[in-house]
Amino acid sequence: MTGGSDDPFLLVHAYCDDELDPANALALERRMAEDPRLAAERDRIQALKRAMGRLKRAPMAPPALRAKVERAVGMRRPAVRPTWSAMAASVVLAAAISVGATWSVVTPSGNGGLVGDEVVGNHIRSLMAAQPIDVASSDQHTVKPWFNGRIPVSPRVVDLATEGFPLVGGRIDVIAQTPVPSLVYRFRKHLISLTEMQGGGAPPPERTTDGYHTIGWRAGGVTYWAVSDVDLDALQKFVKLWQAAPASEER
Amino acid sequence: MSDERTRFANVVLPHLGDAYALARWLARNDSDAEDIVQEACLRAFRGIAGFGNINARGWVLSIVRNTAYTWLKRHRDPKLVAVDSIEEVEPAGADAGIDWASPPASPEAALIERADTARLEAAIAELPIEFRETLVLREVEGLDYRTIAEITGVPIGTVMSRLARARRRLMVQLGKDEK
Repeated sequence: MTGGSDDPFLLVHAYCDDELDPANALALERRMAEDPRLAAERDRIQALKRAMGRLKRAPMAPPALRAKVERAVGMRRPAVRPTWSAMAASVVLAAAISVGATWSVVTPSGNGGLVGDEVVGNHIRSLMAAQPIDVASSDQHTVKPWFNGRIPVSPRVVDLATEGFPLVGGRIDVIAQTPVPSLVYRFRKHLISLTEMQGGGAPPPERTTDGYHTIGWRAGGVTYWAVSDVDLDALQKFVKLWQAAPASEER
Repeated sequence: MSDERTRFANVVLPHLGDAYALARWLARNDSDAEDIVQEACLRAFRGIAGFGNINARGWVLSIVRNTAYTWLKRHRDPKLVAVDSIEEVEPAGADAGIDWASPPASPEAALIERADTARLEAAIAELPIEFRETLVLREVEGLDYRTIAEITGVPIGTVMSRLARARRRLMVQLGKDEK
């Protein structure tokens, strides 16, 4: 065994991990076509990767651990168990105080209201974060695979750049303690978050909370939420285009 | 909330699940993993001002990883192999028997694929920690080689060879189990 980084039996690992540049990948593919031992190694690695894929769980920490951590850094008082929406709201409150904005904390209001609040809270929190997205890319073929392996569902991704809504990236939000994918689009200087939830309740209504519009709808057993502070007409246009556009895997 | 806490909520908390998953694989024990994550979060909180706004997930995981090493040395094995020295401790040595070109007892791909989950988990748990962390960062956390190299403090070539060795051991183990 040489173990050198030009050893094809090492390179085949990098190949299976999508870590080879196109030229080297092509060269290795030729060698694998000629050498059945290399091809067999590739098959074994891919089989092992699939077997390990079955080990993956949704990335969830035990709620008790989250509570302990939040207490340890003084984010919550003992014996109080605020939910994510409450935490998002408290972040909003902090922001409202610090920038002197006039809007108030979002409050639950009827059916779909709680989820809607979380969606708005996630959007606002992302705007305040160091970066509003976990993966930054305008390429739907980069954004979509990024979600694989992080959460069990892969979101529908569409390209609306030519219509004036370029894709900026994606992030993982938490709604009702479940990680869900959110896509982030840009319209002029505003960001639009599009959150996808499996299942979910009745189609959420169109509503406006503190200057943030949300539009919700259901399609194929999936509930979608679009949230932004763009004007309502623009958000409605975005939603119509998004619903009509072909998803990336359909191309 | 203070600025630090807001920042902590935005930078660290979103990755708590990933942090816990990594700690579990390193400690091989749920309650120790919780202790490690909690300690790592405190470190992250204290160091939040120094976070440079690049790749929060990688930053959090590297803190968890370093905390796990200190924790395991303190509570379990003071002689836990130092970070990047496994290749010295285990020179071509342990893998000397492996002929990469014609591996002995290489099971069929189909046999590997239908390996029992519990057995696969046990085989991963048996791996030396450097191999295990590299494999977990790649297959469970889904990180690319460059980020893994940064987190584990070794060159990308070493990441590749550790992955290869880790996988080879798993394959051989899964083949053995079947007999």
